[in-house]
Amino acid sequence: MANSTDEISNFKVVLLGKGCVGKTSLVLRYVVDKFNNNNISTVQASFLKKKLNIDGKRINLAIWDTAGQEQFHALGPIYYRSSQGAVLVYDITDQDSFQKVKTWVKELRKMLGNDVYLVIVGNKIDLEKDRHVSLEEAKEYAEKVGATHCETSAKLNQGVDEMFFTLTKNMLSISEQKQLFNSTLSRQNSQRRNVIVVDDEQEPSMSTSKSCCGSSGA
Amino acid sequence: MTLPLSGRIFIANDNICLIFKRSYKYIMYATKQPSLRINQADLQCKEGCGFYGNADWDGYCSKCYRNHMEQARRKKLKQAANAQSGHQGESSKSQVSGFTKFEEKKRQQTDKKTKYFKSLPVFKKTSSAKDIGKPEKYAGLRQSNDPDADKLKTEFLSKYKYLGDEIRRDFLRFSDSFIRQILEDTNVKPVDELAEIAQKRYNVYNTRINSYHLYQQVSAEVRAELEDFLEKYTMTALYTSLFCPSSTNDEDKDLSIQDRIRKLTWVNAHHLDCCISETSLEVRDLVYTAINDLLGMDSVKAPQEKLQCVVKCCRSVVEVLQHCQGGPVSADEFLPALIFVVLKANPARLKSNILYVTRFCKESRLMQGEAGYYFTNLCCAVSFIENLTAESLNMPEQEFQSYMSGEMTTVSAWDSALVACEGMHQLCEHLSLLNNLNERNISIQEEKNKLMEEMNALKEDIKRKVSSVLESTPLVIKPRKSISVTDEKPSGGSLLSNIAIATHNSENIDKTKLTLDLTPCIKFPCIIEDNIEEDNVLKPSLSADLLSPFEQSFEGTTPDDNSILGLSKVNYDIDLSDLSAENSMAEALTPEKRFSPTPSYTPDPFSPVGTTCTITQQPLIPSSVPLQMTVQKEPQQIKDDFVAPFLEDLTRETAEETLLDKIEATPTINLPPPINPIKTEYSGFSKQGWKIPSIPCNTGDYSSLSSQPGTSKQDE
Repeated sequence: MANSTDEISNFKVVLLGKGCVGKTSLVLRYVVDKFNNNNISTVQASFLKKKLNIDGKRINLAIWDTAGQEQFHALGPIYYRSSQGAVLVYDITDQDSFQKVKTWVKELRKMLGNDVYLVIVGNKIDLEKDRHVSLEEAKEYAEKVGATHCETSAKLNQGVDEMFFTLTKNMLSISEQKQLFNSTLSRQNSQRRNVIVVDDEQEPSMSTSKSCCGSSGA
Repeated sequence: MTLPLSGRIFIANDNICLIFKRSYKYIMYATKQPSLRINQADLQCKEGCGFYGNADWDGYCSKCYRNHMEQARRKKLKQAANAQSGHQGESSKSQVSGFTKFEEKKRQQTDKKTKYFKSLPVFKKTSSAKDIGKPEKYAGLRQSNDPDADKLKTEFLSKYKYLGDEIRRDFLRFSDSFIRQILEDTNVKPVDELAEIAQKRYNVYNTRINSYHLYQQVSAEVRAELEDFLEKYTMTALYTSLFCPSSTNDEDKDLSIQDRIRKLTWVNAHHLDCCISETSLEVRDLVYTAINDLLGMDSVKAPQEKLQCVVKCCRSVVEVLQHCQGGPVSADEFLPALIFVVLKANPARLKSNILYVTRFCKESRLMQGEAGYYFTNLCCAVSFIENLTAESLNMPEQEFQSYMSGEMTTVSAWDSALVACEGMHQLCEHLSLLNNLNERNISIQEEKNKLMEEMNALKEDIKRKVSSVLESTPLVIKPRKSISVTDEKPSGGSLLSNIAIATHNSENIDKTKLTLDLTPCIKFPCIIEDNIEEDNVLKPSLSADLLSPFEQSFEGTTPDDNSILGLSKVNYDIDLSDLSAENSMAEALTPEKRFSPTPSYTPDPFSPVGTTCTITQQPLIPSSVPLQMTVQKEPQQIKDDFVAPFLEDLTRETAEETLLDKIEATPTINLPPPINPIKTEYSGFSKQGWKIPSIPCNTGDYSSLSSQPGTSKQDE
């Protein structure tokens, strides 16, 4: 009984990117599988949840959209605080948006270190003819900063699911690693600001239901 | 000594009397009149310790401010105690008033008052903790246990009855120890540590509820409920000590953000690139709902309740956007809209609320789920507002500055929000203007009516006069009768003399009267005119019409008896005034015209008279008695329907001739027939007319002599 609830891992994924690169379209395509449709049942596309089941592990993704306008750039840290994954979206027809991604990456690495898994996404590959950001350039950069690179088209539904799947898998592995690290030290990281504290406690219970009590005892 | 001083201070405060400033400096600080901190010397700490003061600390340096606040608090406590005993006398009273005033001011600026209530238990607790120990602590706990928490407790007991006594007791034991621990630490540890303690407690309860054998039978949902309830219950109980604690400067932050938002009232949806259409009624209602929800955040106590308010507000915002643009709402649109709502709402103690929630809300709740997302957005909005610059609104720095300094003011679409209201306002203004005009219109109408009444009265008066004159005329005619019947010389002589007066001599004398009489006569047509056109007459035109209708009236009024009288009058007057001696010719001529159609016998003798005025007249009178008899009959007829003949002539003549012509023509009509009418005319103008004959009698002789010497001689 306890296991069923404990199995669920919650991940917070933040969507970053310049305005009009297709962040919202991307997440809407992923969650409700629709594009640019006014009849989309969900009224708001800024906060969306997606339930996943990967390798028998139940995962709840909470995807936070952010305002991409330049004037809200400074608010980024408030958004991506304590998120486990970040999707950095750029428009392949807009070199500027790619430069913006670079600044985000720097910021995220500085603020969250390696705890956050980054995916750099080049969107709008349906506009291949207008491409201004080459695939090679982006891939090279992603490798350099330790991020995964994908190219998608929210309009044509290309590569969207794959991108989120990769992200989730990697977030899961990171959290498992971390949890393993914590359990080996058998010490609770009481860093309050980190939500994962709760999750970490729960995750060991996937393997052994008793670990929960053990950890609390420790 | 304090009594009179304090009494005077309040006067000084009211008048901002700077003279008092130095001598009563200290006491004035106690009342905290900010407007008195103008002097440069006051930039230094008010205590005079040499350090610089700070406006945020009411002009004290940090150290003195703390002392001052402590003192004020202590005084207040004492005051509260004294107020009941009331044996402190007037000095305490004045202080009380001072404090209430002080409090009022505070309240006006912010909703700070709670801080003082809050500080009460804290203060007591610390002292009691030192002095007496545990029992007092429970008393403190009881005090801070506000009615809401008690309510929650009873709610809990009844709601989870089915869980059994054990679980409930465990829950309450846990929560009470939680509360006690926090209360013990409130004054010792900084807020952040308290927050950490609270978070740990939440986690401990989480693990306890999931592992403790007692809870094994409890379903997962109920466990989550219990966890939530723990948070709600403890935080409600601890609200007074944990919300905006005195050890922090949350309050200052509240003030600054409030001030900031107030300065930014000019920011509208357009500045924020937000598509809220401010004119739509539906949208406006939704925005108001959102604002209300946001404002409601301050009135609830538990962090999750506050979060719920934020969520409600944000959902309304999303709905607003849905209305404005359709389709799913992304963060690109949502955040500006939320900023807009926060700016327009300017919630009380915004910062305190946010800090309280971030500190004491369960972490997992804040970082996940919709509530967490919306709360984060609210934080973003506040942060954006705090750091708002010209750049962030995409406007030139200069424009931004002028907006901030108040040099420039927008037609804040939101204030005039209410375009409809504006329209209504204008409508009302116009309506009142119209009413005003209407009133004036009515008054003018009334004045007009009054004027008309006056005119009517005048008309009546003149009519009366005329009729009286007419009544008197038979008297004049009588002598005629006597003449005709008796044929006496003296009577005839007098008659003749009268005639002479009428025709020749008296003209100069009468002229003045006649001209005077003219004016009322002129008025007549006006009145008549008015009567006729009363309905469609425009007031302004009235005065103008006074003159113009004058000519028209002759034609228009002929059918009217009254008017005829007036006209006849006019004719008489003008005729006489105009007529000079030469006009005797005209008189002689016109009778001809007049009588030619009427009686057949008269024309013969008259027509010759007309050709040679003086000579022919002589034979007329002596010619024959029967002839005169007939003449005598005529005047009677004329008297009976004095107007009738005249009317005929008038109608005939007016059609063809001008006013002047008429005037000449009409009098002659009346005058000639028996020559008596001349007398009637004289009497008609005024009663003096009767006197005149006596005077002219003498002159009349001359005139008659000069003009018609033959006639007078013959008569005599």
